[in-house]
Amino acid sequence: MKLTAFLLLAACLHISAKGLSQQITLSEKGAPLKKVLREVARQAGISVVYDEAQLAATYPVTISVKNVSVQTALDKALAGQPFSYKVEGSRITLVKASSVNTAAADSSITVTGKVVDEKGDPIPGATIRVQGTSTGTATDANGHFSIKVPSPKSQLAFSFIGYNQQVLQASANPMTVKLALSSTSLTETVVVGYGVQKKSVVTGSISSIKSTEFENQPVTRVEQVLQGRTSGVTVVASSGQPGSASSVRIRGNTSFNNNDPLWVVDGVVVDNGGVSYLNQSDIESMEVLKDAASAAIYGTRAANGVILITTKKGKEGKLRVNYNGYVGTSAPARKLNLLNATEYATLINEGLVADGKAPKYANPAALGEGTDWQDLIFNNHAFRQNHEISLSGGNDRSTFYTSFGLMKQDGIVATDISKYQRATYRINSTHKIAKWLTFGENLSYAYEKNSGLGNTNSEFGGPLSSAINLDPITPAVVYDKTVAANAPYTNTGVVRDASGNPYGISDAVKQEITNPLAYIQTRLGNYNYSHNLVGNAYLEAEPIAGLKLRSTFGGKMAFYGSDNFVPVYYLNSSTTNTRTSFTRDQNNNRSWNLENTISYSRTINKHDFSVLVGQGAYMDGYLQNTNVAYFGIPASTFKEASLNYKIANTNKTASGKDGLLHTVASYFGRLNYNYAEKYLVTGIIRRDGSSRFPTDRKYGVFPSVSLGWVPTKEEFFPENNVIDFLKIRGGYGSVGNDYIVDNGALNEHGYLSTIGDGRNYTIGGEILVGNSPNAPANVLLHWEETHQTNIGFDLAFLKHFNFTFDWFNKKTVGILMNPRVPTYTGSFSNPPANVADNQNRGIDMELGYHGKIGEVQLNVNGNASYVKNKSLYLGDGVGYITTNQQNFQSSTYPITRTVLGYPLNAFYGFKTAGIFQNQAEVDAYVDGKGNKIQPNARPGDFRWVDTNGDGAITEADRQVLGNPMPTWTYGLNISATYKNFDINLFAQGAGGNKIFQGLRRLDIKEANMQNKALGRWTGEGTSNTYPRMTLDDPNRNYSNPSDFYLEDGDYLRLKVLQIGYTLSNNVLKRIGAQRLRVFVTGENLFTFTKYTGFDPEIGGTVSSIDRGIYPQARSYMFGLNVTF
Amino acid sequence: MKRKFFKSIIIAAGGLLVFAACSKSFLETDPTGTPVENNYYRNETEAFKGLVAVYDVLGWQGNAYITKTGMADAASDDHYAGGGSSTDVSGLQVMSNYTVDAATGPSAELWQKGYAGVFRANLLMEKLPNVPMDENKKKRFVAECKVLRAYFYFDLVRLFKNIPLITKTLATSEFNTVEQADPAQVWALIEKDLTEAIAETQLPDKLAGSETGRMNKGIAHALLGKVYLWEKKYAEAAAQFELVNGIPGASNAYGYSLLSNYADLWKFTNKFNSESIFEISFSSLSGGTWDCTSCTEGNVLNVMVGPRGYSPTPGAPDYYSGWSFLPVTQSLFDALHFDPRFNATIINLDSLEKNGIAKYEKGYMNTGYFLAKFAAKNSDRTTGGGNVELNFGQNLYEIRLADSYLMEAEALVRAGGGTEAGSRAYTLLNAVRARVGLNPVSATIDNIMKERRLELAGEGHRWFDLVRTGDAATVLASKGFKAGRNEILPIPLQELENTKIQQNKEYGGTK
Repeated sequence: MKLTAFLLLAACLHISAKGLSQQITLSEKGAPLKKVLREVARQAGISVVYDEAQLAATYPVTISVKNVSVQTALDKALAGQPFSYKVEGSRITLVKASSVNTAAADSSITVTGKVVDEKGDPIPGATIRVQGTSTGTATDANGHFSIKVPSPKSQLAFSFIGYNQQVLQASANPMTVKLALSSTSLTETVVVGYGVQKKSVVTGSISSIKSTEFENQPVTRVEQVLQGRTSGVTVVASSGQPGSASSVRIRGNTSFNNNDPLWVVDGVVVDNGGVSYLNQSDIESMEVLKDAASAAIYGTRAANGVILITTKKGKEGKLRVNYNGYVGTSAPARKLNLLNATEYATLINEGLVADGKAPKYANPAALGEGTDWQDLIFNNHAFRQNHEISLSGGNDRSTFYTSFGLMKQDGIVATDISKYQRATYRINSTHKIAKWLTFGENLSYAYEKNSGLGNTNSEFGGPLSSAINLDPITPAVVYDKTVAANAPYTNTGVVRDASGNPYGISDAVKQEITNPLAYIQTRLGNYNYSHNLVGNAYLEAEPIAGLKLRSTFGGKMAFYGSDNFVPVYYLNSSTTNTRTSFTRDQNNNRSWNLENTISYSRTINKHDFSVLVGQGAYMDGYLQNTNVAYFGIPASTFKEASLNYKIANTNKTASGKDGLLHTVASYFGRLNYNYAEKYLVTGIIRRDGSSRFPTDRKYGVFPSVSLGWVPTKEEFFPENNVIDFLKIRGGYGSVGNDYIVDNGALNEHGYLSTIGDGRNYTIGGEILVGNSPNAPANVLLHWEETHQTNIGFDLAFLKHFNFTFDWFNKKTVGILMNPRVPTYTGSFSNPPANVADNQNRGIDMELGYHGKIGEVQLNVNGNASYVKNKSLYLGDGVGYITTNQQNFQSSTYPITRTVLGYPLNAFYGFKTAGIFQNQAEVDAYVDGKGNKIQPNARPGDFRWVDTNGDGAITEADRQVLGNPMPTWTYGLNISATYKNFDINLFAQGAGGNKIFQGLRRLDIKEANMQNKALGRWTGEGTSNTYPRMTLDDPNRNYSNPSDFYLEDGDYLRLKVLQIGYTLSNNVLKRIGAQRLRVFVTGENLFTFTKYTGFDPEIGGTVSSIDRGIYPQARSYMFGLNVTF
Repeated sequence: MKRKFFKSIIIAAGGLLVFAACSKSFLETDPTGTPVENNYYRNETEAFKGLVAVYDVLGWQGNAYITKTGMADAASDDHYAGGGSSTDVSGLQVMSNYTVDAATGPSAELWQKGYAGVFRANLLMEKLPNVPMDENKKKRFVAECKVLRAYFYFDLVRLFKNIPLITKTLATSEFNTVEQADPAQVWALIEKDLTEAIAETQLPDKLAGSETGRMNKGIAHALLGKVYLWEKKYAEAAAQFELVNGIPGASNAYGYSLLSNYADLWKFTNKFNSESIFEISFSSLSGGTWDCTSCTEGNVLNVMVGPRGYSPTPGAPDYYSGWSFLPVTQSLFDALHFDPRFNATIINLDSLEKNGIAKYEKGYMNTGYFLAKFAAKNSDRTTGGGNVELNFGQNLYEIRLADSYLMEAEALVRAGGGTEAGSRAYTLLNAVRARVGLNPVSATIDNIMKERRLELAGEGHRWFDLVRTGDAATVLASKGFKAGRNEILPIPLQELENTKIQQNKEYGGTK
């Protein structure tokens, strides 16, 4: 109201012969009053005089008139406005209505107050606007504001990006306005790599998860956050062992080597599997960059998608202390139905008789239930707890966030040797050195310690596999003194319980399958540990508005290792150890990266653009490993074991390893442009050089472009109450991969022919070291590339709903692998090469509802994804490859194979066509020439499909039987708040895959069976799916890998159900807290599946092969959140 | 502020430039600890390490416990595969019951072993001309490579018949274009390699001390004799053996003599004794562990053949509990039962158990009889690190003097020589018998072959002898041996993938 208050602007158009009699035609929708007045003035050729400052307090005008008088037009335009008008000749002057209607000179008041978020933290920079005017202000650094409004009845709109707008009536008393996070909102920002972007203008395919979605959920490792909460991401736990990693796949398997996405934490590239150090409460948001157009900014290692994690930062204001924690217990969710002793003996007898042998058990019924091995190893009360305390705060110059976390979790299987614990510490801080210069750092330390079963998802022993395979007749502990005094209990090293009774040793089931209680005793105390120090520091300068220069240095130091003691033991005749050993393994692994970026963003009229250029250097693979083993130390338990024993040098072995460095140098640039947030363009180019390629082929260039269009912002888009926002987007780009694995080890110098050692021979009594080349060089080695097209749209509709859809076609070409070279070349290993192409096609969908029904605040998010994988090319004339081929037990044939035109590592084996019910059917199963195909089969045996029609069942009859990778993944998250209560339900599932149910050892004929064996074929018409009992198995009913072992992998799991109650303020004030919430959580309460194993969620190099997977636990927890 | 702004721009730009300048070397990383082939073989030390790598293949065991000896024993009428179950070490099981096919069996391991050896020998012979070192030593290295290459090809051609003949290292472009050679060409190369090695004056006649285990002229002659025997060139064979055997039971040019006590041959410490001609070295001190069973220098046969779950009473024989592979058949037991060599050859656990002296666990195809020659005793346990099972260090005889005597006798008789007293064949055969106190018999082919079975039991010769003489089809019929098929092994399945290699006719192929 300073100068402008007196500055009268007149729109004077001196067109004669016009005037008040002029017919006015107007059509405006939501136009500013000023615009309408000017239009009236133009058409009538008169002047309209007004005070521009006052005009600010007017409402937008919607008017549609045809050939009316000036007065009529003005009356309509000013209806409801706080103005009237005076006509003075050919001049019209606007007059404030108040001065006409009331005597009061000025009813305007000054409103002050504060805008805070849900937790009561101030929101700086929130906008306060007087409704219907353009008058507005913003909150200061402490969330305070002050604004003059025209009247006490004025409505004030409070808004901030990412929060729901609130409209309140002005108040003379200081107002405290609480804004709730908006989860629908298209005003949300997402992290896009080297910056943030408004979600409404993003053109790529990015899924974002905010901390509110997983804050109080029982998450042991961050990968689990992604499971079921985003589309396009398949997360499969590789074990229910606490703390074990999950495999994360973004839009399918792309390569033969590495399919893990790139993890970037606060801008630091963290190597694969290395995110276990993160504490979930420290995470602010996770973003999944799914398509090439988004991921291309991380060009090099982005072929499998990128996951960006942003940790929490402090906020200005008073110190905040937050505690989150829970305690609970876990139990196995499911037990297998195995045969009891009577059933077992009956079936074994039946098999022996069928093989023409004498039955082994005289009186099966007398054996009763026998030993339930599962009961002996399962813990129904495994304890788990998690505590996290964070402190944050700061002032206008510095802010900080620091947290401590402690997690302890006991496994549900053989708890004595299955434990996990983690302690974390984090400090994130930012400091404004000068107005234009900011320094910040994010630093975290984590210690993890875990004890594992030593053998999980392995058919070769371990407590789970043993519990499934051991016969129920063998007692867990032998109490009979006469039995205990005889072989095999006379052997040195027989393991005994606390009272000195030996643990039972099975006479029927041997090899690696041992008494799990005895096995546990041999591994007590052994553990792995890791110390991880991960952090980065950055300096950011903003010398002029919009121009930012940023330098970031990040690094990770990991110290990890293990202590293992092996006592003298005799578990059975083939699982013995005749002298003690103590092994210590220590590793020191370091990596660092340096990035420099310059970005500039500016808005000129409706043109909004930002440019980013940058450079990065990355180094990893710096590993130092030493491993020392002492043999024959005089210790009998882990506790007694020590390297302090002075044993003869010849009884010590030592080995070590130096890592080979992997370096990447990159240059990258990005241009974002949008016109009025209506037409959107993003272009990215990145050039990466990798040390893994020969000098002239080190660099790869990875461009991408994506476009978007927001039709709802177009003038012509019809006004409606259905579609609030629509954005259509599409993009194409390529990303690269330099990851080459050979025999499980990274191949850093595949382009060189290196000389390997260890080709040793004993000459003159001395072991001499021999050297020979490893593999021929491949000088043509270059980047593997993934090209991806993505088309999708984002839709907000009916005010409360949003829907996102993406279709993608992802093609990987020149896949890096080590194609098998013929062994007659004498090559020690297979040289890497760019062979094979692979395709993933699919769709991602997300649907959300956010609204209020009565007093219930309801948020529902659902997502579903489908991906179809297919190998397109495997080399010239190559129909299949055997890389990563999976074997099962001693089965003659591998169970997976990558066949052209089918998914990677598909299940491969024989196909069954029912069971021969009688001899006539055996005789009738003939080929074209009338020859019997299975002349030696007997009724009750499988009829194998003679795929190639050659009249015999041979290896050539094997075929692709199913896909081990789920094609569908979906999730549903419902949260509702009613008064002080809140409830959260999270369900997740996957399907479309097959599971190889390999729980039983086929080579151990007398291994126990699941009770579905009771439904075996016992005579004509008894079964067409489960063959007759036989131990010799001449028809290979059991020993051929076939569809007999494949089951559908579909499942739906109620992952989390949580009910919380937030205590009212009065109670809290007494203890000095701001907010206190208590909750109970149930995890993995129900799993709906037809699968007959422990758990349908089975990870691994090739997923869905169940060799006795450590099942996911069902847990119940009680928790507390307190904010001070 | 302006000035600061420009300063930071300059620093940032400078940083970028510096980085760009050194980024080239930044991207060149070292294969630390692994030399690059182009820079290797620079001197005698490195050339010698290349030679050791060729020798390494002699002791090749792979990860699947497959050895030539184990395979041949399992396939013979003297042993079953045994082990823990019908699928334990399937490569041996399928040889024992003759269900071997291209996908399952010992083929892959033995094929790879042979060609790894051929490649390493070829490579070293190509590298040697450019290595600055003593020329005489070079000549010796080349001669050793030739003996070794001949040995590898001899096994390959005997086992697989139709094999590629590769005499130089292959370029990557040639990897998939190699074709199988006429077996006659392979036999010719073997003869040529051995003949050339024998002609090389730098190849020593005998070795001692720090060189034991390397190739010498004695080995070359004995091996060439054996090659001729396989080729049915009996006169040539006999001539070679005569050079090795000298005067039977007395002396020869290379100093070989039969040990007076037969049982001493099987003492793990009795390495490179006077009876040994061609011996394959193992060591108990390489610290091998389960992490890499193929990496150990220990002899896996030792633990494999031991009685399973052996639990002795005080005073019982001292055996290390093993995995019960290669149990001795009743047929061999009966043949040897009253032979002076019985105790050194067979452990009769059946009898020990019946007499309450020791107990053991009956493995697959258990007969109660175990192969004593290789069974480890507790006293043989390693004094070094590593898993005990993988670090027994007994050497294996590839050719020993008794074998060489018997082969010469056979060659002589087959060439038409005399069989009775006064004939050289008679003297040779009975020198072997006399050592264990047996009366002389006439040197008929039957007697010689019977003697070979008893004298060399369990040493991996029996099956090869049966195949070579054509007796396999009758002797092994009960085990499932099919004439016209099981005389050779199938080419390993994977070797047919994307190559020009064709499967042997015997296994449904076209070669």
